[in-house]
Amino acid sequence: MAGSGSIWRRALIVGLIAGVVVLYLTTVGIVLAFAERSFLTGVTSMGRLILAIPPLAAGFVVGSRSGSVGARLAAGLLAGAVSGAILALSLLFASAVDIRGVLIRVSAPLIAFVAWDQEAVTGATINLALAAGLGLAGAGLRVLPPRFRVPLMAAVIGVVIMSLLERFLRPRLTELDFTDVARFLYQGGGLTIPAAVLTFVVVAIGAVAWSPVKAGARRSLAGADPGQRSTIRAVLIVLAIATVLYLPEVVGSFFSQVLVSVGLYVLLGLGLNIVVGYAGLLDLGYVAFFAVGSYLTALLTSPLSSLGFGWPFWLALPVVILGAAITGLLIGAPVLRLRGDYLAIVTLGFGEIARLLFLSDALKPWLGGTQGILGIPDLFGVPRIEVPILGVISGPELTYYPLVLFCILAIFVAHRLKYSRTGRAWNAMREDEDVAEATGISTINYKLLAFAMGAAVGCLGGAVFATHLESVFPGTFNILVSITVLSIVILGGMGSIPGVVLGSLALIGLPELLREFAEFKLLVYGGVLVLMMILRPEGLLPDRARQLELHEAEEETGPDSGPPLTAASAGTPIGHGESP
Amino acid sequence: MRRPGRLSLVDIILWALRIAIVVGVALGSWATLSAGRLTGAAWGDLIIGGIALGSVYALIALGYTLVYGVLLMINFAHGDVFMFGALTGFFVADALAEAGFLDANPIIGMAIVLAVAALSSMIVAIVLERVAYRPLRRAPRLVPLITAIGASLFIANSVRGLYGEQVKAYPTLEIFAGKLNIFGLEILKTRAIVIVAAVILMLTLYWFVERTKTGRAMRAISEDKDTAALMGINVDRTISTTFAIGGLLAGAAGVLYAIVFTQVHWFMGFVPGIKAFTAAVLGGVGNIIGAMLGGLSLGVLESVAPFLLLSGFGVPSPNQLRDVIAFSVLVLVLIFRPYGLLGRPESR
Amino acid sequence: MSSPFTAPSADDTVLDPGGERGILLEARAVTKRFEGLVANRDIDFDIPRHSIVSIIGPNGAGKTTFFNQLSGIFQPTSGSIVFDGVSLVGLAPHDIAELGIARTYQNIRLFSAMTVVANVMVGRHVRMKSQWFDAILGHPGERNEEELAHQRARELLEMVGVRRRYEDDLAKNLPYGDQRRLELARALASDPKLLLLDEPTAGMNPGETRQMTDLIARLRRELQLTILLIEHDMKVVMGISERITVLDYGEKIAEGTPAEIRANPRVIEAYLGKQAHA
Repeated sequence: MAGSGSIWRRALIVGLIAGVVVLYLTTVGIVLAFAERSFLTGVTSMGRLILAIPPLAAGFVVGSRSGSVGARLAAGLLAGAVSGAILALSLLFASAVDIRGVLIRVSAPLIAFVAWDQEAVTGATINLALAAGLGLAGAGLRVLPPRFRVPLMAAVIGVVIMSLLERFLRPRLTELDFTDVARFLYQGGGLTIPAAVLTFVVVAIGAVAWSPVKAGARRSLAGADPGQRSTIRAVLIVLAIATVLYLPEVVGSFFSQVLVSVGLYVLLGLGLNIVVGYAGLLDLGYVAFFAVGSYLTALLTSPLSSLGFGWPFWLALPVVILGAAITGLLIGAPVLRLRGDYLAIVTLGFGEIARLLFLSDALKPWLGGTQGILGIPDLFGVPRIEVPILGVISGPELTYYPLVLFCILAIFVAHRLKYSRTGRAWNAMREDEDVAEATGISTINYKLLAFAMGAAVGCLGGAVFATHLESVFPGTFNILVSITVLSIVILGGMGSIPGVVLGSLALIGLPELLREFAEFKLLVYGGVLVLMMILRPEGLLPDRARQLELHEAEEETGPDSGPPLTAASAGTPIGHGESP
Repeated sequence: MRRPGRLSLVDIILWALRIAIVVGVALGSWATLSAGRLTGAAWGDLIIGGIALGSVYALIALGYTLVYGVLLMINFAHGDVFMFGALTGFFVADALAEAGFLDANPIIGMAIVLAVAALSSMIVAIVLERVAYRPLRRAPRLVPLITAIGASLFIANSVRGLYGEQVKAYPTLEIFAGKLNIFGLEILKTRAIVIVAAVILMLTLYWFVERTKTGRAMRAISEDKDTAALMGINVDRTISTTFAIGGLLAGAAGVLYAIVFTQVHWFMGFVPGIKAFTAAVLGGVGNIIGAMLGGLSLGVLESVAPFLLLSGFGVPSPNQLRDVIAFSVLVLVLIFRPYGLLGRPESR
Repeated sequence: MSSPFTAPSADDTVLDPGGERGILLEARAVTKRFEGLVANRDIDFDIPRHSIVSIIGPNGAGKTTFFNQLSGIFQPTSGSIVFDGVSLVGLAPHDIAELGIARTYQNIRLFSAMTVVANVMVGRHVRMKSQWFDAILGHPGERNEEELAHQRARELLEMVGVRRRYEDDLAKNLPYGDQRRLELARALASDPKLLLLDEPTAGMNPGETRQMTDLIARLRRELQLTILLIEHDMKVVMGISERITVLDYGEKIAEGTPAEIRANPRVIEAYLGKQAHA
């Protein structure tokens, strides 16, 4: 089947796909959103970069086939050209026909941008040529031996990241009185050329040096005795904690707010991780626990609520946790016998019911209806505190530090559970529920336990959230929160604690740096979920066992392992795989 | 939980739930009916409205049930397939209305709108299957479900980006305005059209599944995929066809929904999608007649129950809670009778 | 069913939970129906304490269904099953495991993404006591229990013959024979009284089969187990069983010693079918 014909066909198909992707990015509005954002000052914008990536990637993919260098390069060129042709033709079409009534993004500014502010035909030709060139470059990149390719790619990515950090670094450096540095690095919203070159060189050198340095570190670590090793580990942990504690100082007050959001989702993610990652129960209504925690806190601590107790936070907390556990049991108990998909949908139903009830007029006298509950006092009851070492804490930091504490607690609990009898039981249950049951594990009890723990953590997050916003509104607690938390857990890796942290940083923290993306956040989440499941279902930071679990399963025949617990349809065979 | 005679915590909770529901329904209904808040005509109106709504649900539910039958997965993105048809249909309807075509030839015009909507939904469904689900055929069951959720998000937000956030309103047609008088009942014309169209589509589908070769292939695959493949059935192609049919129905449902409710927007697929799934489960997942009956029942339930039950308790704005009722049906059916009304329990 | 080789009649089986001899498990008139298919019909079955008993029969005879009812995965449609004085009907599988019944599976069902040691330690679950709060607190009692369980797991692995170096490998990566042995170790970890083995030598060559047979006999001796086997390999069945029960089409058609079964015409017919053989 390998022949000279197939590489061209592949180039055509890949180019076609790249072209569609470009078209999609344009019509959905991403390109225009980034068109204003400068990438390299005075050179090009992020929008152009986004348009450039698909043809480049197409060339890269196509150039992987074995064959002569010339053929591979030519194939890359072709793929890029096809992609460019699609864009070019669409450009011509859009300039001739006004489709703004349907595709609202295809406005005059967008067309002008895509056409490089030229006439339609000229612009189309430019795009075609550029795309072809990029395809060629992509293939060329693939043809390069790894020792050149890796530093090159790393350097380019480094430059892009450096440019993206403009939003954060420039104001921060200015705040910290490093104005000259800021001005050297950034002008007009983008990275300056000298700064770009500098970044390029530094990252390239780093990439080249990475392997030998890593090998050297590993060698010395292997040579160390256990005593030295635990010392090293202790030092690393202390460093990590110190970093976390000083982070608000470093990032400034604006981004401290972001840290709170990230931290909150880390906490929620840790809770959902127990339910989904450890016990294997797909809970799509996790927001319900979050909401219950928030509302309970509001009811108990706000003098304006229907209960009006006005308790201090720390007094209300145990009650909230207890309420959480009860909610977890109430939601978990009825759904225990349900299989995966059904469980997911039922929990989704619960989540929606909760949201609607919180919103309703019927429960308004107690829960405040659409107006919610206001007047929730701060976590500590005072707007500023004096603390040793860290000085005065105020604003978002007042929430941040308790949040860090709770996260550490949650991590500790999750870690301990994972490597215990309970964790093993959950693992077994997740892999093969019927066999686990027959081996002596009461799946009902362990499922309930998972729900209760997940609920407790979720409610804790809700409590913190309520004090942070000093109010609760029902509109906040919708399914998108559940899906966001799920995305974080999936991206990082189901059952992986570091994964949750990474996932939260990526999905909550990153959009803050890429403000233009805010509009497309959910789009990205959806895409991430689909891509992760197809390409890397075990997540970005999985533990070894999970990786094998998810990849091996694809090779087995049939998804069922044992009799299903509920009827799927009349006629589902019972007792799979075993002769009666 | 040692001896069968003794009750566990779970059993207690479930029994309490059952009792609460029965008592609640009985009390609420009695209170409402004895207070005579609504006239017979008003009840009739609610019921007809419920049937119209329910037929839309039924059409969408068929998509869920067909896909579940062949793949044993819940196509969470199906609601967004429905939405896509409604929105695409809107552009066609709008264009035709501007051109005056729609007023001049309403029947043909709406037929065109319907066809375009159905076809575009079909395309989305086929692409969805090909790109997102087929690679994961052998994966553990949670994986395709998560993918479906991601796909749903992606499609809905893509539409938001492509077509914009604003709510769009279908053009109203002269010919659809007003009421019909059938057997002394006054029925809104829009509702009548929706019901008739839906019934035609459902009958067509039933004929297709029962009488055609492809329909037989679909049924074979839902019984035993591997054996069907060994018998020479092209499993991939049949599955694609299944998605295509589900898409066609959903797209048509989108237009019908728009005829009744007029307004369409990018997020409109979520709630009807879940309700349609509820309908499918209510009837028994995998069961086509069940999906149809489930849809109709749910529609009626959702329209009537807020007034029948809740106003009996003096609950303000009961209509707000109709979604709560629908979701409660979902939850309760899955808890107490997951094989649906027309299914049979698995013996253990 | 008037075969001269049916089980001893009901009057001379005595429920004797505390006794040295006597019947460990007594099943009476066990019937299992699945929507029109009768997988087991009216089966009477006794397992004497410390014995090795086999169930054989052609494919589809209902053997695994019977097993599944003993371990609680299915509930009998009718009939009674009494184990060591306790009725098993209506109990959840994990309760049955706690009472002392453990099993292996026809198609190996290990927890494939867990390590070998972890698999065995899961088997030990019923004999351990630590709860979630114990795990979180991490007190000496919990740690001690974990350590002991770990040790016991190692012992059992050695006993069944899984090599030490596989301990921390994922169960999925083990060679086939070791996977079967691992499943056995997992079952033994719960200190069961009754061990149900579903085709333990399936897929093994004669050498491995002999090893497994010897292992089973040794386990019965050293651990004071009672063992119930489903097997297709007649050499194993005849060689190791004290008594054999034959099922066909869900019914018991014969029961007796290996010699009796070998000569039983109904059994021969069941295996060869209705085709006449010259």
